[in-house]
Amino acid sequence: MKTTPMLRTTLILTTALFAALFSSSYAADAPNGKALFDKTCAPCHLTGAAGAPKLGDSAAWAPRIKTGVAALFTSATKGKGVMPPRGGNAALTDDEIRAIVGYMVAQAGPAPKAEKADKPAVTAAPAAKAEAAAPKPVAAAAAAPAVAPVAAIPASGVNTFNRLMKPELKGNLPPPEDGAHDPVNDGTHSLQPPLTAFSTLSKSNTGNRVDWVKSLDEQSIKPRSDRNDPSVAPMVMDLNIIREVKGSMPDVVYPHKQHTQWLDCSNCHPAIFVPQKGANQISMASILLGQKCGVCHGKVAFPVSECRRCHSKSKPGAAAPEAKP
Amino acid sequence: MLTLMKSGALLHKGALVLLLLLASLAPMRLAHAEYGDVIINNYADAAGMRPAVFPHWFHRIRFACKVCHADLGFKFKAGGNEINMVKIIDGQYCGACHNGNIAWSVENCDLCHTGKSGTPTQVHGSTVNSLVAPAGTAAPAQMQPAK
Repeated sequence: MKTTPMLRTTLILTTALFAALFSSSYAADAPNGKALFDKTCAPCHLTGAAGAPKLGDSAAWAPRIKTGVAALFTSATKGKGVMPPRGGNAALTDDEIRAIVGYMVAQAGPAPKAEKADKPAVTAAPAAKAEAAAPKPVAAAAAAPAVAPVAAIPASGVNTFNRLMKPELKGNLPPPEDGAHDPVNDGTHSLQPPLTAFSTLSKSNTGNRVDWVKSLDEQSIKPRSDRNDPSVAPMVMDLNIIREVKGSMPDVVYPHKQHTQWLDCSNCHPAIFVPQKGANQISMASILLGQKCGVCHGKVAFPVSECRRCHSKSKPGAAAPEAKP
Repeated sequence: MLTLMKSGALLHKGALVLLLLLASLAPMRLAHAEYGDVIINNYADAAGMRPAVFPHWFHRIRFACKVCHADLGFKFKAGGNEINMVKIIDGQYCGACHNGNIAWSVENCDLCHTGKSGTPTQVHGSTVNSLVAPAGTAAPAQMQPAK
């Protein structure tokens, strides 16, 4: 009984401390709205490029402001229409985006100015308190933005204790933060973030996390077969080759159809595969080392971790024992 | 027959070990570029340019593999094509489309040469990259900010 009030006071103190910490940091962030806007948002929202509502254009902003600051904040973080998430600058924190939204709303019109400018601060406080508890102790400022495009939930948190649960893979990051592109280079920021292109495509769990073959079948992509003439159709050959494999793995079904939709015969024959039954020695080891199927699979075409997409035909007698493990 | 089966089993074991190795390596890879992004650094570093990054994903949305790999003669080998700017301006390789006609033209240096300097030629996310020639130089440097 005695410890409870003590605990309570410490709790209150910590909360107060957090609140103080947060509010001071927010107060420090808030005036940055303009500076941050100039850095990230201005190219579109100052010029009206790509249909972006221009800064200070109260007619354009009025209906948007009506939806509420929270909705604007969501649009800003998740992207809207052609606007990429976080305006393409994933390094922006939620607080910074709130500051920018606050600034843009404040610039939009004289009437709702005072009221609306207050609002982000009000809505921000409770929401950000919850955040302050979660990501701040976990990650330094530098690590935090990397998580943002994949999941808003602080990723590393929940399941780290369970080594059997795979961590949320970081993928499909926009070029400036994917680790391979140089963010110092201006052009890097002009490149299309993969997610904006993948949103309409069929999903997969590996590779680009896009099922390219399915996307092609569904015609969500229409890659040209001739670089100049979009009307040229690929020469598709529908012939399955079945390769019996040793061991307990199901046999491999090789579909010419899906391959010839993308490729020319000369891409594989005769340099990689001799077009003759029994003439090609293929092993997983050689595939992993980039030969045979591994010339594409494990590099660009779906990765070799998707065993069953190739090993898809159960052995005649093996159906029962195979089902067990 | 028996020995054949045994060697088959051995091969499978070898493959399994390789796969395990692959799996253990996967989380260590620290750059999170797209699967299939090719970093081409045949001449760039020496010439004081950033290495070029070729995004397969972007191109395969628009063109079938055969357009580049059969019609234009790109070999299936990262860095195996000895591409240089003279050839590109001459209309070969990238220059077959990046001529201001089908795609934007060569004066946009910083749209291709976007890689981090010193990154070796590789296919990002490939098994070869993790098993044969791990992209050594880039990995340790990126380890610190990630942790």
